[in-house]
Amino acid sequence: MDKIRIENLTVEYAEKRHSFKALEDVSFSVAAGEFVCIIGSSGCGKSTLLSILEGINLPTSGRVLIDGEPVTGTGTDRGVVFQNYSLFPWMTARKNVAFGIKQAKRDTKKAERLSQADEFLDKVGLADFKDKYPSQLSGGMQQRVAIARALAMDTDILLMDEPFGAIDAKNRTILQELLLELWENGDTKKTVVFVTHDIDEAIFLADKIVMMTPTPGRVLKEIPVTFSRPRNRTELVQTREYNAFRNKLISLFYADIVDRIGGNEVAI
Amino acid sequence: MTTKKRYLRVANALFVILMLVQLLPNRISGDAHTAYLIGFAAVLEIIVLAVSTVSKTESGLNLFLDIIAFLYAFLIFWTLAAVKFNILSESLFPPMGKVIWQLIDDAGKILVNIRSSLGIIIEGYLLAVIAAIPLGLFLGNSARAGGAASYISKFLGFIPPIVYIPYGIALLPTFRSVSVFVIFLATFWPVFASTMSGVLNVEQKTIDSAKVLNVSKPTMLFSVILPAALPQIFIGCNQGLGISFILLTSAEMIGASSGLGYYVKQYSDFGDYTRAIGGILIIGAVVVAISFLFNKLQNYLLRWRK
Repeated sequence: MDKIRIENLTVEYAEKRHSFKALEDVSFSVAAGEFVCIIGSSGCGKSTLLSILEGINLPTSGRVLIDGEPVTGTGTDRGVVFQNYSLFPWMTARKNVAFGIKQAKRDTKKAERLSQADEFLDKVGLADFKDKYPSQLSGGMQQRVAIARALAMDTDILLMDEPFGAIDAKNRTILQELLLELWENGDTKKTVVFVTHDIDEAIFLADKIVMMTPTPGRVLKEIPVTFSRPRNRTELVQTREYNAFRNKLISLFYADIVDRIGGNEVAI
Repeated sequence: MTTKKRYLRVANALFVILMLVQLLPNRISGDAHTAYLIGFAAVLEIIVLAVSTVSKTESGLNLFLDIIAFLYAFLIFWTLAAVKFNILSESLFPPMGKVIWQLIDDAGKILVNIRSSLGIIIEGYLLAVIAAIPLGLFLGNSARAGGAASYISKFLGFIPPIVYIPYGIALLPTFRSVSVFVIFLATFWPVFASTMSGVLNVEQKTIDSAKVLNVSKPTMLFSVILPAALPQIFIGCNQGLGISFILLTSAEMIGASSGLGYYVKQYSDFGDYTRAIGGILIIGAVVVAISFLFNKLQNYLLRWRK
């Protein structure tokens, strides 16, 4: 059964005189334990889509089903990692994680939460930074804490909104590998929806790529990624299949953009 | 730091000059209590030498020694003008040695007055903070009531609290309760306004990242919005503290029978300017001590900021 079903989602924002359509008739589904990357240029509504999955925004029409139940707001079945503002600056790394656990599992004891927080901070390699405040951590470390919190909350679903978008290239690859390792070795495989604008990131991480196109945001194509796991980046990028696949994605991505520019010119 | 950098300082040179100046003959009729001034300066110099020995950073030491240098320069000037050359009137500009002697002599009385002033400040201030922060949180968080409340607080907040004193005297039974009432008002409005604006300025991103954790309403208010607004809240608390001291000492000069303002006013009326100046210096010291403690608390509670 599908873990997440997105059905005919349309989102319109009312602005002063006219309304702005962020998403139009978006439908796709995500299987349980599947890693899906949503990719598209800026303005394609990928973050809007994720905010609806998070339950922060509600769609104008259409619906999202999780385990067959429609989403009506935020819920403890979903863990979220934002690009750079997931953590509370007044809490230490440890408190941030423990705070997340407290919200997800309200009947746990404080000592239990703190030891779980330590355990997950160990997993993301931050054992020595538990008592640091976010402002004392680098961007990459902050995202590690955010991931630790999302995992510690032990939700079925992980929603990630360009979590590595503001991280330098080297740390980004390290974080991608860490994320895959944690996802593959979890007790039950989490269902992940990961928004990115980086094609290589999407290919390396995803079981399926959902490519979106802007104004209004629609699904251009759903593309399965069939490279076997565990994936080794250095080996993978050297294969002919990888390059062929990457080129296909890029041409799809740019063909769409060129179509639009050309279309507009004709229209003018 | 080299030994030279540690000990060969302007402050130390000024200390020596201050001591040498004392050797000049006095030209005033009364007792200058020079021994007290020398004792005070000696204690200060011992502290200076101790700090110079243990200080690790040069910039911190510089700041401390510069402040001490100013103090020594002031004492030298005062001693020369008031005691040695008698340029300034003896009764209006008493020798500093005499001021120190008088302060020590009056220590018991001054402590009682400090306690009385601090009691009123703490009571009025704490009551205001305890009332204003939760109210600001709730109203700042409620879009509709908050809009009206912010206008009302602007109107009431701009009224100088000192104008409530005569009305307060008619309204309330004791002078103490009037002072608490006025300090309450003086603190309440800035703290309330800063809490409201702090709450309204919490970033949507912060709210969203709490929402996706599915926090309850009380958790959102007290564990997310309150700490996020705390830097702003402290601005109001700081403001309230400053106004409170001005108001209290003013009020004490009008109708009190105790307190530091009363001490200064009473002895000024009697023409005892030695005690008046001593009282003024004590008020300065108390205010500095309180703001120091307040800053410590603020830095501790906001230690998570860069």
